Amino acid sequence: MTRFLLPGAVLLSAALWLYATTTALPLAQWPFLRPVPLWHSETMDSAQILFAYGTLPRAVVAILAGAVLGLAGALMQAVLRNPLADPTTLGTAAGAQLALVAATIFAPGLLANGNAVVALSGAGLATGLVLALGAQRGFAPVTVTIAGMLIGLLASAIATAITLSQGHYLLSLVIWNGGALTQQDWVGVRHLAMVLIVALILAGLLARPLMVLSLGQAGARGLGLRTAPLRLATLTLAVLLSATVSAEVGLVGFVGLAAPAIVRRLGARSLLQRLLGAPVAGAVILSLCDNSLQAIAAAGGPDWPTGALTGLIGGPLLIWLLPGMRAQVPPGTEESDTSIRRTLTPARSLGLLTLALCAVFIAALFLGRGPTGWGVLAPELRETFLGLRATVLVAAVAAGALLATSGAVLQRLTANPMAAPEVLGVTGGAALGYAATVFALATPNALALAIGTSVGGALALAGLSAYALRTDMSPARILLAGLAIGALASAMLAAIMTADDPRAWLVLGWLAGSAAQVTPVGAAALAALAVAALIATVLMAGWLEILPLGQAVAAALGLPVGRVRLALIALAGLATGAATLLIGPVSFVGLMAPHIARSLGLVRPIPFVIGSWLLGAILMAIAAFGARSAAYPYDLPLGLFATLIGAPWLFVTLLRRRSA
Amino acid sequence: MTPTPQGFQTQNLTHRVPGRNLLEDLSVQIQPGVVTALIGRNGSGKSTLLKHLSGQLRPSNGTVHFQDRAIHDWPPRALARTLAYLPQTPPPAEGMQLTELVALGRYPWRGTLGRLGTADHAVIDDALRQCGIDHLRDRLVETLSGGERQRGWIAMMLAQQAQWLLLDEPISALDVAHQVEVLALVQRMCRDKGLSAVVVLHDVNMAARYCDQVIALGQGKLVLQGPISTLMTAEALARVYGLPMHVSHDGPQAFALPR
Repeated sequence: MTRFLLPGAVLLSAALWLYATTTALPLAQWPFLRPVPLWHSETMDSAQILFAYGTLPRAVVAILAGAVLGLAGALMQAVLRNPLADPTTLGTAAGAQLALVAATIFAPGLLANGNAVVALSGAGLATGLVLALGAQRGFAPVTVTIAGMLIGLLASAIATAITLSQGHYLLSLVIWNGGALTQQDWVGVRHLAMVLIVALILAGLLARPLMVLSLGQAGARGLGLRTAPLRLATLTLAVLLSATVSAEVGLVGFVGLAAPAIVRRLGARSLLQRLLGAPVAGAVILSLCDNSLQAIAAAGGPDWPTGALTGLIGGPLLIWLLPGMRAQVPPGTEESDTSIRRTLTPARSLGLLTLALCAVFIAALFLGRGPTGWGVLAPELRETFLGLRATVLVAAVAAGALLATSGAVLQRLTANPMAAPEVLGVTGGAALGYAATVFALATPNALALAIGTSVGGALALAGLSAYALRTDMSPARILLAGLAIGALASAMLAAIMTADDPRAWLVLGWLAGSAAQVTPVGAAALAALAVAALIATVLMAGWLEILPLGQAVAAALGLPVGRVRLALIALAGLATGAATLLIGPVSFVGLMAPHIARSLGLVRPIPFVIGSWLLGAILMAIAAFGARSAAYPYDLPLGLFATLIGAPWLFVTLLRRRSA
Repeated sequence: MTPTPQGFQTQNLTHRVPGRNLLEDLSVQIQPGVVTALIGRNGSGKSTLLKHLSGQLRPSNGTVHFQDRAIHDWPPRALARTLAYLPQTPPPAEGMQLTELVALGRYPWRGTLGRLGTADHAVIDDALRQCGIDHLRDRLVETLSGGERQRGWIAMMLAQQAQWLLLDEPISALDVAHQVEVLALVQRMCRDKGLSAVVVLHDVNMAARYCDQVIALGQGKLVLQGPISTLMTAEALARVYGLPMHVSHDGPQAFALPR
């Protein structure tokens, strides 16, 4: 059966392409089927010009871009010995996208000579960051992938923020986010073909040393291979390939992941077979995706960008690949760090944190920027402003505490300090729910939005739980499944955004996180939820102590592991969903707060949970204050501000924890 | 051999993974009150059998009974009060003091919300003393040496007050002195306190010195079962390891070396 998979896909793709093209231009009028003169635009009518300079190069670009991505994925997977590596999962593509968005806005001059250089530097920077993080864990596949997708998330968040701050004229970029393959001439074809040919030759040269590298670092050194230059050269080539595609056609996700996986499935054993087979598979995948979408559009359906479709395929693909990963993880590399300090006086630390929270809260309530500059809120203004400020602050503090609780639970549950609700996919699902509500109802009110968001979050959680129940639920893999769900959600969001609908801006605004519409009732409800979550978590502290010791030990101690994990995931999901409604899907508070708690030496479950809760609240209080004051008189989006505080801190800590 | 209502009984136990059977039609009995060694070559199914005995795996075929009850019919906490299991590589107990690790052994008795009483603390102290690690009680587990950490985990099993100890290669990462310490402890618990133990071992001489019974596996099938003395013959060892071995005796103690 598998023998006919690839030829079948080629035939199907060709048929779809013919259908789409002949709908636009009947076969009889194809320019090159007629006698001379062939390619003179003077003799062609507009439909024929469109065919010769739009349709035809688009088909070739799909094939070439797919091949380039397939090769990039195969190279990355070979050099990192990680079957989950690909330009999407390593953050490469998102880095290129962010660089292009930033350059378009802040330094359009840089793009005068084409955008390849800008895309390349963004891609290289993001990949380098991910690998620097991964190096501390011996490049353990799942950890590297989690770091990569986190950085990808962050890059997209910042790109969204920039888009948002600039209004409509970036709509074309939003479309570009979705990876549209539309062409106006043959320049893109020439670029991609050149890059592909050179890269194939280089890949052929790299194949032998890469095969030696597959023995592992120590084994390769034993055979006299200098691993560092080889790794650097291969990764540079792969990043170059990915950046070229980003520059030419935009964000086309997961082709680099799918192509080598399919080639492996079809029986390519040797590395050379995989390096040569992956481009073929990639070309088939991308052109099949593109031709399907063209056929849909030709049949009168909506015109979606191709990248959105590959994104839709990517999430499920990742989940499908995960179970087979078991044997390929180097032992010990996915354990958490063991070198942590532990405070002897957790009660005192918690007391100080409580005081700090009160101080920050009061300061944020009364201090601020007004028409007359910085100062304490004047007494006569208090009646008007205190209530408003208090509402936003309470909501923000509660949301921060909820996210932090969720993060603390997830980090204990998975024994992985990279775990966070942002990674769980719940926020992505909630975002989809919000978007769906905005588009489904003519005038959505707050309650409808709340329900829609919660349902979206719950569905993402249900999908994750179904996956988790089916497999034996290794923690790191749950995280990756969560990330896959998140990727799926953002691909669908990208598709929604390209609809060029004013409602898309409503969703985009929410994605950056805004606390402006919070009502006092909503804030109070959120606060009650935060307190309830804290109590529930403290009651579950016994579980949180045993679970990091792993399934075998937990089961041997009589813990009903499956049910306990589900209960904790449900708690984390609910807390995240509620908080997400207010501050948008990305904030990194859920990742940061538990991290800080650990670095303060709050290691035991109960102090850890309470400390994380307090720190999450403090962080969001600061974010709320900053969002209100930084650009006075305008309110910046709350979630965005939290992200911008959180991201640099995150990288500094993660990079610092270098272990030998 | 007569059936042993107080011990383990597997009936045609089979564990299939794609491509092969890790265990095939295995029917064994394990008696209480003694130390039973599980031996065999790498990949012979020792660890898989131990995981089945502790109820972590579902048989593809056949049954596992513990004290006349199917292992999966035991409620998790009741099972944990009777049966303690130590995995091959104990996880890092991050940020935990040794006493806190040992105190986890009280979970099956106290549950999530129960607080530890004086009786519990007496049990924990006793377990620490039994394992000779009383002086390390306030140390963080990750700062202990391999032998100390292993004894810490065994202390946790003792604090569980289970009648049965299942240990998966408890000595493979230890030096000879610590190997002796750990196995002597297990033997003493069985002799003096009437506990029962099943221990996966690679070293036949250690098995001969510290175990009473032996179950030898080869490619998922039973090769031999009986008192440890039945293993310590050149013929039996050749069947288990496929290697000519020389067995000599020093008093009652037999030891084997490859020829």
